[in-house]
Amino acid sequence: MDTVPLQRPAMKVIDCDVHPYVKGGMASVFPYMPEPWVERFKRKRAAVNSEARSLKYLHPNGTINREDARPPCGGVSGSDPNWLVQDLLEKNKIEHAVLNCLQTGSLCSTLAGTDESIVLCSAFNDFLIDQWLTVDNRLKFAMSVPTQDPQACAAEIRRIGKHSQIVAVSLPLLNILMGNRYYWPIYEAAAEMELPILVHVTGPDSIYYGPPISAGGIPDSYVERYVTLCQAGESSVNSLVFSGVFEKFPRLKVIFVEYGFLWLLPLLWRMDRTWRQLRHEVPWVKKSPVEYVHEHIRFSTQPIDEPRDPKDLDKLIEIMGYDQLCFSTDYPHWDNDMPGQSLRGLPPAQRQKIFWDNALTTFRMR
Amino acid sequence: MKEKKSIEVGSADEFTVGQFKIVDVEGRQIGITRLKTGELRAVRNHCPHKGAPVCRGTIGGTWPPCEPGEMKYERDGEVLVCPWHGFEFDLITGVELYQNEPTKLLMYPVTESDGRVLVTL
Repeated sequence: MDTVPLQRPAMKVIDCDVHPYVKGGMASVFPYMPEPWVERFKRKRAAVNSEARSLKYLHPNGTINREDARPPCGGVSGSDPNWLVQDLLEKNKIEHAVLNCLQTGSLCSTLAGTDESIVLCSAFNDFLIDQWLTVDNRLKFAMSVPTQDPQACAAEIRRIGKHSQIVAVSLPLLNILMGNRYYWPIYEAAAEMELPILVHVTGPDSIYYGPPISAGGIPDSYVERYVTLCQAGESSVNSLVFSGVFEKFPRLKVIFVEYGFLWLLPLLWRMDRTWRQLRHEVPWVKKSPVEYVHEHIRFSTQPIDEPRDPKDLDKLIEIMGYDQLCFSTDYPHWDNDMPGQSLRGLPPAQRQKIFWDNALTTFRMR
Repeated sequence: MKEKKSIEVGSADEFTVGQFKIVDVEGRQIGITRLKTGELRAVRNHCPHKGAPVCRGTIGGTWPPCEPGEMKYERDGEVLVCPWHGFEFDLITGVELYQNEPTKLLMYPVTESDGRVLVTL
């Protein structure tokens, strides 16, 4: 089993979005949990039932994973760290890959109850630290937090956040905008540990009550839902800035992963204009929103939008500025972008920023 | 270069603190108001942003930058807010507040002499 040979980029690469899959699901993390919780989940038969999704949002081709990325020894794509290192890192000359586990994310945002999510989150984090990070030092980790209890999130960050391969805190969002003070204990702990907050769709978004929901109503298909998932990113950037989060936590950084980025340009123009007109309603916003976003927020590249004329994309990125973007593949998902084939029209020095420099200064790389 | 001239626009007691009186001076609308210090200001009734009749906006104070969860209020009577898009202007200097690249009100020299108010164009 092999992927199509890729043109290697002549530069170093950090991949900000890679999805490890805990083989065997919840049952595999039972050894990392207290016994009463193991018995509870066994009694609920949780290990087999916890990943249910509604029919209309199933992927039209049956799986969100690349079939060609399945490990040779069998199992789900992304479930074998050794194969992932070969198939993604070696083939594409990726020097750091930031792992973000969506099994944990979906449980923490929605599928598990509050107490369940706290226990599961620690167990999944510990499993990945133990069984993935030890495989290769190039594997970095965006540790998850159990968002339904912000104090527990802060405790989890302080419990494992010093691990040298942990480079970010993956925050599974609720349907509460990111500037809301609900999240502030999490930001405080992350800033204390010099870890950026990474946000990514966790799976139940726009399906269940709990996570962010698409604007205007519930989409009718996978396609419709996919296109609207960026809306929560847009609302969150707006909320973070106008709530004064970056004045409260001046060292905090946030990276929006897989929300797209071309929407940022008109959003910033709108935010800047409205701030200029009505800033006295939010006087803690001491300078233009554009400045806060450039100083504190980054966006991953995948899924890169594809104008029919690729030069249109290059032009829009030039207008946005090259300091905003961090390259990501989203391996092993169907809509992934590989480094050799991404953003090839940009000048080499600017590609270098997007594929390496920006991520290096965003994540806690030691 | 056109020579400047002073034009009488009314008696001193017509121009009071906290509001504009708008007068027509040689085809130009000019708003005249008095600051709390007693000084007068004469402002072209035309917002540099989008041409609104800026002198029909609100004269008041401003809420300066502060920390999250705080709120301050200051400079009452020294700030003009445009009625259209809310730009805030410093009535002392005419400069838009809190901007790196501010716009500026067009202001004319205005003086008092023997109870009469004169604007210099």
